[in-house]
Amino acid sequence: AVLKKRLVKLVVNFLFYFRTDEAEPIGALLLEHCKITKEEENVFSISFIEEPERKYCFECATEEQCQEWVEALRRASYEFLRRSLIFYRNEIQKMTGKDPLEQYGISEEARFQLGAHRQ
Amino acid sequence: MKLNERSLAFYATCDSPADKSGFLYKRGERHTAYHRRWFVLKGNMLFYFEERDSREPVGVIVLEGCNVELCDSAESFAFAIRFGGSKSRTYVLAADSQAAMESWVKSLSRASFDYMRLVVRELEKQLQEMSRGLPGGCGGSQDAPGPWKPMPPGLEQCRERLPALPAVPPKENGCAVWNNVPGPERPPDTSGCGGHDEEGAPRPPPPLPPRRRVSNGGTASAGPAVAPSSSTFCRLHEQYSREVARLRQDWQQKRRGSQP
Repeated sequence: AVLKKRLVKLVVNFLFYFRTDEAEPIGALLLEHCKITKEEENVFSISFIEEPERKYCFECATEEQCQEWVEALRRASYEFLRRSLIFYRNEIQKMTGKDPLEQYGISEEARFQLGAHRQ
Repeated sequence: MKLNERSLAFYATCDSPADKSGFLYKRGERHTAYHRRWFVLKGNMLFYFEERDSREPVGVIVLEGCNVELCDSAESFAFAIRFGGSKSRTYVLAADSQAAMESWVKSLSRASFDYMRLVVRELEKQLQEMSRGLPGGCGGSQDAPGPWKPMPPGLEQCRERLPALPAVPPKENGCAVWNNVPGPERPPDTSGCGGHDEEGAPRPPPPLPPRRRVSNGGTASAGPAVAPSSSTFCRLHEQYSREVARLRQDWQQKRRGSQP
């Protein structure tokens, strides 16, 4: 496999990649249901749950950068954000007795319930 | 632009719970005819299928940087998803009833990752303010990079510094478990949520002070190194004082005989 130099941008739950001199991305990866694996030095890979043997590999300039990317990408999914929201909501509710989501009018939404049943 | 379409299709059709689903009429791109499609909202992705039991979606609308608004149309209960940019398309959809339309507009306008992130940051801020405001809190260690240090701006850094979160499951990302309580990764005392259920089940006894949270890997990696004794003590102190405040509040509420 040949390594190609790319500009890579993490925007919300997408990883965009560009040829370094172009303004439009060549492609994007949706970062849901994926696994970020630290490979050998400076290298990490992204694979998706439905095709685990296919790895998108990325080599970074330094090991430190590699770790930063791995950490950032593992927290990049919408589902991770949702879990954080549920967790904080619960913490605040325990401390104050009040639901902090009420002010946003979203406290009843099924997607934010802790232990809600699937529909 | 290439997209990992197979993964997208998997996300659309796998059994992770949808945030919303239902039939809507979608206006065609070139023609004004409406086509009935089965729509599935998951996170910030609005997938649409030809039929409810189609095996893969016909298309997807990424709900970032868009406005969802009512629109003028011959079709009743119509609304539009509008994107900025001269080349961007506006998606015109129509529901079967006023209630359905309002429900979809509400869900879609709050579906973006950006919106979620805003709410999460707000809640983080609230938690920080609450911990600082507590008596006997960590006043003497303003410089200590404990878990409640103000977040620097910027998306990646902000997310990295989330304090006391459930530890990220090793190497895996994004499995929708929001309707379950994942076992090993949750901080031990979140089982206390049992006190909040609708039937008014009695609150379980307060959990043990969350000692174990001190060694949360995510927190440890969030800031520069500091003398372990001072930051550990501060964190423990904050955590215990939160528990104490909560117990006090519970006790006071029970005395008043009112539910929060």
